Amino acid sequence: MHDRLWLFLATLGYLASAGWGLYALGSQRPVGNRWTFLLILFGFACHTLFLQQRGAVIKHCPITNLFETLAFFSWSLVLTYLVVGPTYRMSILGAFTAPIVFLINFVALAAASQIDLPGSLPNRGWQLELHATLALLGLGVLGVAALTGLVYLIQERQLKRRALSSWFYALPNVGRLEVVQQQVLVWGFVIFSAGAALGFFIPHQTNEDWVKIVWSAVVWSLYAALVVVLALGRLSHKKTALLSVAGYVFILLTFWGINSLSEAHVFPHDG
Amino acid sequence: MFSPTTANPMNTHLICGGLTFEGVPVEMREKVAFRDSQLPDALSEMKKFLGLREAVLVSTCNRVEYFGETTQPEHAAAAWPEFLRQFHSVPEDFAPLSFQLRGAPCVEHLFSVASGLKSMVVGETEILGQLKDAYEIALNQGQTGKWLNRLFQSSFAAAKSVRSRTGITRGSVSVGSVSVELAEKIFGDLHHCRIMVIGAGETSERTARSLLSHGVKSIVVANRTYDRAASLAAELGGQAVRWEEWEDHALEIDIMISSTSAPHYVLTQEKLQALLKRRDRKSLFLIDLAVPRDFEPSINLLDNVFLYDIDDLQSIAHSHLRERQTEIVRSMEILKPHVDRYIAWAERQTGTPATNGLRPGWAPA
Repeated sequence: MHDRLWLFLATLGYLASAGWGLYALGSQRPVGNRWTFLLILFGFACHTLFLQQRGAVIKHCPITNLFETLAFFSWSLVLTYLVVGPTYRMSILGAFTAPIVFLINFVALAAASQIDLPGSLPNRGWQLELHATLALLGLGVLGVAALTGLVYLIQERQLKRRALSSWFYALPNVGRLEVVQQQVLVWGFVIFSAGAALGFFIPHQTNEDWVKIVWSAVVWSLYAALVVVLALGRLSHKKTALLSVAGYVFILLTFWGINSLSEAHVFPHDG
Repeated sequence: MFSPTTANPMNTHLICGGLTFEGVPVEMREKVAFRDSQLPDALSEMKKFLGLREAVLVSTCNRVEYFGETTQPEHAAAAWPEFLRQFHSVPEDFAPLSFQLRGAPCVEHLFSVASGLKSMVVGETEILGQLKDAYEIALNQGQTGKWLNRLFQSSFAAAKSVRSRTGITRGSVSVGSVSVELAEKIFGDLHHCRIMVIGAGETSERTARSLLSHGVKSIVVANRTYDRAASLAAELGGQAVRWEEWEDHALEIDIMISSTSAPHYVLTQEKLQALLKRRDRKSLFLIDLAVPRDFEPSINLLDNVFLYDIDDLQSIAHSHLRERQTEIVRSMEILKPHVDRYIAWAERQTGTPATNGLRPGWAPA
């Protein structure tokens, strides 16, 4: 129960960050993003403590059930933001990352009420842990790419409609968003592909989990197609952003269902 | 020449005065404006003439003002028009056009001026730099002391606070600066951007100059009369191209400004679509300053293309100005504690309440 307190605190931090970030964006005054960033940093510290404590208890990377998977998934989103934000001077993305992370954590905490600590878990090899970790990290990076795409769409719409709200001044220029979105998208695809590829090297003791495999193949193909057309220069920035957002909405909407249906992707509990 | 009497700290009066655009037309202001090279001499002469113990002289295109500390504010008020008349060798009487403030209103005035609240274009930031320059000249000449040093430094801090906490400086208020602002929101840094000017009109030239001042990489000018294009290109440091060739050059262009007198669209959606196929995916910012318009409005529906006509730009400029004006009240609230802090400090220096009206130096003149 103790570890959940850290996740609860992290979720509160993300909620506060989301609230402040959206207020700053909507207000007519040029409020900096420092508080949004610091609150996310606080949330991330608590989030990391939760995962560390959980991992220490179950002696596995904490992705053994839906609760942990969602928490790890949202953690990877925040981690990516903390790398991308300062690197590309895009701390404003925090105002968009925090609400999504809050929602995922909220669902995770709600799911946690039905999930007890797993008993002793069998060791399925490092390949499995690396496969799952990389796949979830990849999904986190793709999430930040989608959020950057969303910011691009907002800014592009304001420019097209000549409706310059307070958001117009707070959000970055579209040229910068194009570059960041595409680079993060490619990185997300590479990491997700690496994670998915590792899945082929895991010794399977049960029947193949076709539900999850087909879902992963669909997600991978979607992003592969997007990255290829992007590399060929055939897609406008707007369509790239739209597809990136649509792809991620698909992931978010199906992630829960697929993980619930999946059998081989749940650790068998001995205890 | 007037010689100041022996200083008595209890009779200290902080004063400011002069002429501003609010009450004085440019035909008069231009007669008494001080060139940068004149300022140091004018300052020391003014200080003696007005009987000031500390002095700063500010001269911009919208205001000529003095700030000072004296024991005889009435004398300063009377001497100021005469000083202007003598220094500039002009016959006009500037007394009815000049103002003077003493004490707290003087502090409020400087803080408001530094924050751009009293500028012709509310929120403009150039005035802060001009005040800093004027103060620096006075400081280097040893013409300031504890009263003006603290006053000016506090005004700079107050202006910074207003600028960072309100939207007073937000948004551009001219067609040229709105174009620059939009370009920066599309491309970010303009140093790698190339501009094309189609039709060598005056408005497009001004807009191109605004963009050039923000460091755009290169400029191409196309006009039906090649000589006019060549002449404008030479002025702007760009390249002139023949009218028939502008579409080929447009392939490399990021920002296109058009102001031809053509009665029909110079660029249609169909033509631009064909052009876009030959370009890479980079964004294109189209500024249509012509009436009737040069660019077909439906062009704006194309991806990676941002089209603004003259009405769009003017409407944005006007709305920015309106927004800035609504920020004045909030800015004054932010200035208040800064003003109060200065006055409290002044009270401590003299040991007399500054705002009780007993001392004329702290009551409105």
